[in-house]
Amino acid sequence: MASGGDPKWQKDAADQNFDYMFKLLIIGNSSVGKTSFLFRYADDSFTSAFVSTVGIDFKVKTVFRHDKRVKLQIWDTAGQERYRTITTAYYRGAMGFILMYDVTNEDSFNSVQDWVTQIKTYSWDNAQVILVGNKCDMEDQRVISFERGRQLADQLGVEFFETSAKENVNVKAVFERLVDIICDKMSESLDADPTLVGGGQKGQRLTDQPQGTPNANCNC
Amino acid sequence: MDFQNRNNTANKFVCPSDRQLALRAKLKAGWSSSKSSEPLRPEEQEAIISVIRRNEEIEVAERQRVGRLVERVEKIKQHAVERGPNCCRLCGDTFGILRPQRILCEDCRQSVCAKCSVDINIRYHTSERTREIWLCRICSETREMWKKSGAWFFKGLPKYDMPRSASATPIPNPGLPGSMAGDAIRAVSVQSCHATPTRPARVKKLTIRVNDSSSSSSGHSDPEDEVDAGNGLSVGGANGDVAKGMSSGRLQREDSFRLRAYGSIRSFIDGGERKLSNSFFFGRQQSQRPSECPEYDSVSMSKLRRESSFLRRGSVSSSWSISDSSGSGSGNSGNSQSQSQFQQHQQQQQHCRDPLLGWLEIAISYREAFHSLDCTMMRARDLPAMDSSGLTDPYCKLNIITPEAHTKYTRWQRTKTVHKTRNPEFNETLQFVGVEPEELGNSLLYVALFDDDKYGHDFLGAAKVCLSTVHSTSQYRISVPLGVEDQYSNAAEMAQNWPNGKMLLSLCYNTKRRALVVNVKQCINLMAMDNNGSSDPFVKIQLKPDAHKNKKHKTSVKWRTLNPIYNEEFYFEASPHDLNKEMLILTVWDKDLGKSNDFLGSLQLGAQSKGDRLQQWLDCIRLPDHFHEKWHCLAPENPAH
Repeated sequence: MASGGDPKWQKDAADQNFDYMFKLLIIGNSSVGKTSFLFRYADDSFTSAFVSTVGIDFKVKTVFRHDKRVKLQIWDTAGQERYRTITTAYYRGAMGFILMYDVTNEDSFNSVQDWVTQIKTYSWDNAQVILVGNKCDMEDQRVISFERGRQLADQLGVEFFETSAKENVNVKAVFERLVDIICDKMSESLDADPTLVGGGQKGQRLTDQPQGTPNANCNC
Repeated sequence: MDFQNRNNTANKFVCPSDRQLALRAKLKAGWSSSKSSEPLRPEEQEAIISVIRRNEEIEVAERQRVGRLVERVEKIKQHAVERGPNCCRLCGDTFGILRPQRILCEDCRQSVCAKCSVDINIRYHTSERTREIWLCRICSETREMWKKSGAWFFKGLPKYDMPRSASATPIPNPGLPGSMAGDAIRAVSVQSCHATPTRPARVKKLTIRVNDSSSSSSGHSDPEDEVDAGNGLSVGGANGDVAKGMSSGRLQREDSFRLRAYGSIRSFIDGGERKLSNSFFFGRQQSQRPSECPEYDSVSMSKLRRESSFLRRGSVSSSWSISDSSGSGSGNSGNSQSQSQFQQHQQQQQHCRDPLLGWLEIAISYREAFHSLDCTMMRARDLPAMDSSGLTDPYCKLNIITPEAHTKYTRWQRTKTVHKTRNPEFNETLQFVGVEPEELGNSLLYVALFDDDKYGHDFLGAAKVCLSTVHSTSQYRISVPLGVEDQYSNAAEMAQNWPNGKMLLSLCYNTKRRALVVNVKQCINLMAMDNNGSSDPFVKIQLKPDAHKNKKHKTSVKWRTLNPIYNEEFYFEASPHDLNKEMLILTVWDKDLGKSNDFLGSLQLGAQSKGDRLQQWLDCIRLPDHFHEKWHCLAPENPAH
């Protein structure tokens, strides 16, 4: 929120010189380090002071990937339950999710399944997810082993990283990987299956919904 | 407040699907059930609203960006000529042997020339292999637009603002910054889970508003109306749009089509232009009874149905005649056919999908006593030209196709070749013996026409005649249009015996070195000349008459093989202009030590060639710096003698 007046942000946000725009969402329990993660990536800054995110926030960053400029709008969500209704509203537009837990916090790891359910409920079917175990620099307080994280990711069929926003470990890699996955998905959906240019069955499901209204007034 | 209540208020945005409900029911932790009712504090609201405002700026910019993308594609479409199947969809060039090569766009299945198309490499993620496909510029740009706008993800274009008409068409937009923020506040304060602002619009339905008054017979619809229809088609599907559609008094009728997103994006992007292209098919259908045109493939029929809605708007009434006459005009420019004759045929040819392939006249009679089917090839007309003087050496190949879709005879019957004409008089009767009377009811006579040439027989056209109308008493005479290649014509060509084998040749004109690059790739099925049942083949290449005094070239000798692979490149200095007069002569020889080499076969390529050879030669000049690869048959004559 404070970043609203940040001149760098303004420059990035207003920049129209890009090819693709991807919207990404970072979710996970409260205090797993979502905001720190985003700040590390977008501004390369870190503060250990904990300030709970109010509702929702986002940052914009343009990256260069495979000869294409990709503008990322990265949404940082509040982990607290009281904002849940606001945050879930933004799931719809997100192409990729960074699902984060804290390797020093068992609860946050156990909630991953719930978050996946949330994604399945509110997001588009082909949204891409990466599981991230944050705070991997705090080895002495670690309760979730890398192996457990990896197993869960395998189970969910998503990719897995352990990161540290504080030590800047793997932060960039996570975003780059997510962009790659989405790019792959994009070329796959269009090139390998041109019928999708017109939308496949998945899109159909949603079109069924509002049909009743116009038909009521149709006199043909 | 909770989902139950929301459902009852008939807000269609909120209505969750069964799947959503099922998933929610599984949530024992119950974020939705154990909702804290504590409202947001004012400073929290303010913070959230400021974020939403910031997002709003991005959304507006994004809508404009998508609008520019859409506009770009639309502009390309506006420049498309759409003259018909024998002309490039974009630039309107007619195809033919001496004209641009026809390329079929992978997406729209329309013909375009090489200039107006792009070849892209497609990667299959499953098998890690790539495939090259051709797309016309419209379709490749459309794909790009789908990628860049995010439509690939949402399966439909997101909301967008067209750059120029943004002011002219004020949409009662739920997405205006002011109202948006207002909505958001409300949404936040009631803790609704559907603060809609960033919800991306997606293809919900396609509403086509049809102005049913067909008063616009002048051929131009009121521009304001046009714009409005465009908006109605917008895939946004936001409730504001729909509401407007229903309240607008100007619209006498609202037809809503739920099309797959494919249809919607296509038809709405092409907007007005599309109706022209498809009225091509429609106009055809109007000109005769539908039962007379069984040849429409399902694609064009479905298009037709879809586009019929456009036709009702009345602004396209005369489009068929326009595209028709222009098509015939340009089709005519390349040959010496007289205009009047052409138009006369055109009347008949309208139900033929590819009118320029020509026309064949057959007489069939059946002699029950001998179980013999006599097929007389009378004449053919307007066959495609195969050489540079616009002439052809046609002959026919015939077979009978059984109900199981097999050819009845392994040996194809063929007529004699009639030389140097596009309107041959065959007058030749071929007999099929052993045709049972009951077979007639469900068999087809298949006739394929080829161009006779030393170095390969090129397909001219093919026709199928249903034999159920053939009686033993009288002769059945019919004039049939010639269609495109299919599996039977390929089989007919394969039945041809080429004792001297074939050669795969790749040609490229290199503009940097100003030279013709000849790549001799490989040969197959060469003749065996040595006692060991094999040969030791090599290829000699020369250019004649050679303006630049290039020397003759030779490939290496491949020992003891009938299927040598060379892959060797040779450069012949020549200007593109020279190439129009020169001839590339390739001869294949069997290397013998101690005695003279044996001749295995020859191939000549140049502007004097015919069919595929001429095509490759011309492609090579027309599209320089690209390799053009083709298989050719080897002839038994030695051109040096």
